[in-house]
Amino acid sequence: MRRRAAAAAAAPPDAFDRAIAGAHRRLLGLTVLRVLARLAFLATAAVCVGRMVTAGAVPAGPLALALAALAATAAAGWRADLSQARAESALAARLRAVFGAGLAEMAPRAVQAIPGGRLVAAAQRHPEAVAALAVGHRTARAMMAVGPMLAAAAIAVVSWPAALAVLGLTPVMILFFVLVGGTIRSAADAQEAAFGHLAGQFADRVRVLPTILGNHGLAREEAVLERRMGDYADRTMRVLRLAFLNAGIIDFFASLSIALLAVFLGLGHLGLARIPGFSDLALWQSLTLLMLAPEYYAPFRRFAEQYHAKAEGDAALAALRDILATPGGAAPSANLPADLPAALPADLPNRGLVAVTGPSGSGKTTLLRALAARMEPAPAWVSTEIHLPAGTLAAALNWPAPPGDPARLATVAGPLGLLDPALLPGGLAAPVAAGGGNLSGGQRLRIALARALLSGRTVLADEPTAKLDPATAAAARTALAGLARDRLVIVATHDPALAALADRRIACPPATGEAA
Amino acid sequence: MTPTDPDRLRGRAWRPAVALALAGLACALLLGGLSGWFLSAVALAGLGGTALVFDFHTPGALVRLFAIGRTAARYGERLAGHRAALSGQILRRAALFRAMAAAPATRAAGWQLGDQGRLTDFLDDVDDLDFAPLRVGLPRLTLLAGAAGLGLATLVVVPLALLPIAAATVAIVAALTRFARGAEAALAARRAALRDGAAGLGAAHAAVVALRAEGRWTDALGPAAAAMARADARLLALRVAQARIEAGLSLAGPLAGATVLAVAWAGGARSGDLLAPVFLAFAWLAFAETLLGAARQALAAGRRRIATAALAQWTGGPGDKVSGVSGAPGAPDAPAPALPDRLETHVAARAPDGRSLAPAPVAIVLERGRPLVLTGASGSGKTSLLKQLAGWTGDEALALGGSRLGAPARRALVQLCLHDAAILADSLRANLFAPGLADAQLWEAIDAVEMRPRVEAAGGLDGWISQEMLSLGEAQRLNLARVWLGGCPVVALDEPLEHLDRAQGARIVARLLARLADRHVVIASHQPLDVQPQRRLDLSPPA
Repeated sequence: MRRRAAAAAAAPPDAFDRAIAGAHRRLLGLTVLRVLARLAFLATAAVCVGRMVTAGAVPAGPLALALAALAATAAAGWRADLSQARAESALAARLRAVFGAGLAEMAPRAVQAIPGGRLVAAAQRHPEAVAALAVGHRTARAMMAVGPMLAAAAIAVVSWPAALAVLGLTPVMILFFVLVGGTIRSAADAQEAAFGHLAGQFADRVRVLPTILGNHGLAREEAVLERRMGDYADRTMRVLRLAFLNAGIIDFFASLSIALLAVFLGLGHLGLARIPGFSDLALWQSLTLLMLAPEYYAPFRRFAEQYHAKAEGDAALAALRDILATPGGAAPSANLPADLPAALPADLPNRGLVAVTGPSGSGKTTLLRALAARMEPAPAWVSTEIHLPAGTLAAALNWPAPPGDPARLATVAGPLGLLDPALLPGGLAAPVAAGGGNLSGGQRLRIALARALLSGRTVLADEPTAKLDPATAAAARTALAGLARDRLVIVATHDPALAALADRRIACPPATGEAA
Repeated sequence: MTPTDPDRLRGRAWRPAVALALAGLACALLLGGLSGWFLSAVALAGLGGTALVFDFHTPGALVRLFAIGRTAARYGERLAGHRAALSGQILRRAALFRAMAAAPATRAAGWQLGDQGRLTDFLDDVDDLDFAPLRVGLPRLTLLAGAAGLGLATLVVVPLALLPIAAATVAIVAALTRFARGAEAALAARRAALRDGAAGLGAAHAAVVALRAEGRWTDALGPAAAAMARADARLLALRVAQARIEAGLSLAGPLAGATVLAVAWAGGARSGDLLAPVFLAFAWLAFAETLLGAARQALAAGRRRIATAALAQWTGGPGDKVSGVSGAPGAPDAPAPALPDRLETHVAARAPDGRSLAPAPVAIVLERGRPLVLTGASGSGKTSLLKQLAGWTGDEALALGGSRLGAPARRALVQLCLHDAAILADSLRANLFAPGLADAQLWEAIDAVEMRPRVEAAGGLDGWISQEMLSLGEAQRLNLARVWLGGCPVVALDEPLEHLDRAQGARIVARLLARLADRHVVIASHQPLDVQPQRRLDLSPPA
């Protein structure tokens, strides 16, 4: 994982990097403003309390300032949160657009090879995770450098030795931070290497639950699952014990600095010890120091709380890149096959059935795709894998155009057997799930045929009769032959009965390297 | 504990976490108050000339104690909280898994959680419930305890200050309630939009070749992208509302502290009399950070409610009883009644949605050594009939071998080989579902499905495999190896030739049926099956 991140860092910036660059800058400015306002509030509030206790008077100026600074802190915080939400939302949309554009560049076969779940997760969730890393996390990281310096500067105004003391503790804290951070990472890596395969066991067993039931494996799988979840939880606790040390170290140093300051400042007030910078201070000064010191550590704490955002964002970005790098996807030539089969005909008739035949892998589909790319207007594509948006049968028949006249749809759909209530109840109003999940392959093919009929376009059909039962296959052959009476229909097929109906046959020679 | 019970900090496991959370909060508030009080007190002592008699050591030691206590308690709270959440997670997930195994929907048509997108949504819900105690219960308890403690202290030290603070509390609670209600609606709408987007994208992805050829890839993606943009807009609106409420919350702690001091001052308290109000004011200031978490808690509570509702379909309302399934499906060695060589029964064929598929019950004859092959157009109900026979759908008892067998009894008798059978992320051995058998027998099955080279390449019987590592054809062959090794008296195969090369499929199925010659076998297949002898049943509706 880390090696891959290093490789990505060395690579030239891609579209994702360009989208991410600078997304957090405005937020950084507002966050600095929030810190300044907060420091001002704490200091002026300390002045007010100090004066009230020791001088018996409420100083009007500092009081007004304190209230104004408090309001400014809330306002700046509000604007910063808004800015972060908007920046992350806009960046997520940009990343999704970059991803969509990347998909459009890929060869259809490569897109098809991406597991559907991965693709959906990539579009749905990953952009958000990357945006959180590029905006929120990056700002928190930058604030680790800026925030403590602002706090130290504010402390130095009151007492520079106190500022030095706080600064002096920092290298020790950072040393701990680095040591613990390294240990956490190696522990997490070791956990991942040894037990990573157990992480998804619950999800996996839920996914395969019907298979477990079909094979009578439930009792055993229940026991295995419970044991493995227990093992994984134990291992996770071991890593967490270390991971929580990170925030613990910062808490420790913040608490320590308050305790030390309180004691030193107290000794100074009582005149029991003379420590430069901690003696002869007014109460408002010592209260200011006490209240500002924790602010020095707050940015570290905020950053430590986001440790998971880094891992999630990095993984999401890597996943997005991985998908666009799916083999066969990068070459733009993959959209149009480089070496078109020599048999590609120059003169195609205006009507009739043309069959492209040949063994598997000889490039029949590739030939069809190449033909489609040349056709103007684009052809109608007939296969069992056509696009079906969620809606009704009527909407599916004429997609992407609106359904139009139901009578016309019925005259097309009826003869194709789509209105048979025994197979698909509801007629034209029958519900169609996205992707046609509630339809059989035969029903999807019939919809494709109806769509081709309605479109009036040239028809390209890819293995239209494969995976169909004999009756449906026969109906499909008849429909294609019918279509070919008044337009050009080109089918890529293994089916001898369909090829026999063709007016013309194009034989693809066996593969010479490129897979279809 | 029911699987969806969000386990609101009940039970012994949460006691340490609750105790540590309260201790950590107490230390933080006392540290803030005490250090403000301490500096003020020593400053007054220094000015008033009582410095030498001031008891410096007790407050100094207490400051150190609270500082270290806060650090240790926070660390301990995180650890104990996560330990409790993880142990609750195991119990809850195991119970949920059992409930899902028993739920009728699991055996009905098309397993919805076989799809990665839905599975991820489901896991989000489970996760939201697993960690609800950490995200809602524990921080909310701390928040309420802190507010109650400081309110009580205010009542004792500066009673009049409690009036404005109580009024502000009412306003905050009202705003939070409104926010929570809006958040829950926004989260639900976002979820629906995400689901639409996922469905649209999934549909376009499956049809990419056709869409590209037709030049309609962008048309198809448009609605999915719009749905996801809708989901984004919901999230953004939610975060905008959250930013607003958190800005308000950030004022509450400092203003409460200021109120305490102002009321004390107005009441005439000066110098030494101000020390107690200063203590309290600094404690209120230290409470500000805890207060800020209220918005996030409201959000997490909304998530918890949505997740609970979503998972209720598995754990069930009162009517969703797990009728008679208990024990039977998990026990491969359940005593099976001896079946005669020839079984005849009648099944009222039904589609998954309950429609009747045939005017009269279909006559089914199962004969040992003579597989029944169900054929028919897609959609004619082959799989449905298979599942009815196997006791997976429908409740009616069937007359089989002289006795009437209900669905649970049939489930115990039948090994059902689904056409979309899945691969477990586990060893190959575990994937064969034959824990008691010797290696030689397992290899025999692997050879029968022509998988030896593939299995050896994957690391043998104990090599770890997953769905992604196998092609559809390989997964199908492994699936048939499970049948080879299974011991059920009845075997139901759904589309055993799917994803297989024609010649190889024929070889494997012939071997498998020879092996199953002493069993009752029923096969659904859309392509003709070249085995003899066989009995055929065509389910196509009459033309």
